[in-house]
Amino acid sequence: MNPIDSRIHQALDGEIARDALPPALRRTVERLEAAAGLLAAAAPVPGLEARVMAVIRQPAPSRTWRVVRWLATPHTVMVRIRPAWSLALAAVLVLLALFPLGDRGPMLGEHEGIAQFVGRFPGARSVHVVGSFNDWRTGTIALEDRDHDGVWRGVVVLPAGTYEYMFVVDGELWVPDHLAERQVADNFGRENSIVIVRAVRR
Amino acid sequence: MDVRGDPSDPEVVARVLGGDAEAFGLVIRRHEAGLVRFATRMLGSRDAAVDAVAESFMRAYRHLASCRDPARLRTWLYRIVANRCKSHLARRPIADVPLDDAPPVADPADSEGALERAEQVAIVERALAQLSPEKREAFVLKHVEGLSYQEMAAVTGERIPTLKMRVHRAREALLRVLEDHA
Repeated sequence: MNPIDSRIHQALDGEIARDALPPALRRTVERLEAAAGLLAAAAPVPGLEARVMAVIRQPAPSRTWRVVRWLATPHTVMVRIRPAWSLALAAVLVLLALFPLGDRGPMLGEHEGIAQFVGRFPGARSVHVVGSFNDWRTGTIALEDRDHDGVWRGVVVLPAGTYEYMFVVDGELWVPDHLAERQVADNFGRENSIVIVRAVRR
Repeated sequence: MDVRGDPSDPEVVARVLGGDAEAFGLVIRRHEAGLVRFATRMLGSRDAAVDAVAESFMRAYRHLASCRDPARLRTWLYRIVANRCKSHLARRPIADVPLDDAPPVADPADSEGALERAEQVAIVERALAQLSPEKREAFVLKHVEGLSYQEMAAVTGERIPTLKMRVHRAREALLRVLEDHA
């Protein structure tokens, strides 16, 4: 695009008198003004006032309704951002993805502690832990063997206390934890394992 | 109150805020023509422009209390319409009715001079439609609506040097098109 003589802009912006322009530049100024003048025709719009006033005269919708309508209406969001800020934002997002802030273990209540369950069951397809803390219901607390070395692990947050438990392997085989602190006889001729959960915060 | 006895914009705003909703009709009558003209130049479609201005008036009525300086109600209304046009253009990058396909319809009874004028209007509209929305907005506000650069800054939220640059570039582009048709 070829810039035009700066005096034309100055004259159109009222910074210099157009009488001071050479005739050729003055004609250019007049030409641009004439072009703008062609666009300046304006006429009232029949019905616009009635249309707007009809809406205005309606009782105002409740705040709840306005919120619902706003939530249900598509909105255009225009974001104007400097490239430097875009890069900074991208860097922050990458850092958060690499080092998530929230991965700090389970949140514990004042009288809660962590029970860790570990059992070696090579070839097992699933291992769950059942006990007095979950009413001996199977399938609610699953252990994991992420590295497929046959050692299954799980962590459960429990209120401080003493609990009996067993492992359930592949959904049907109930076995005690031989590494448990204590064992106790149950009423069915077997032994349950004992775990003591101590409150982390006292 | 002006010399013709019409209440000024601040007086009308005060009446509306005082509970006289019907007084807002005066705001509409006073400003609709210019706002529709501005929106038409921005959107390239009079129908879309009328919709945008109607929505803007409704918004203006609802938020009239937030108009800090009722003496500059006109500038405030242009800002609302400008934002509405930008939202419209963001949703629909291409004009509803491209001006290339919508030359002004001339009445058969028009004189040859009127037909020639209609053709000139079409040329300028086409040139305007080729500008970016920002340059088009700047040119129309400056040369069609007659706003000062200070008022344009209030309408657009841009700095005055930025607006001057946009107006200059728009003039250059328009002049080039006009010379091509000379």
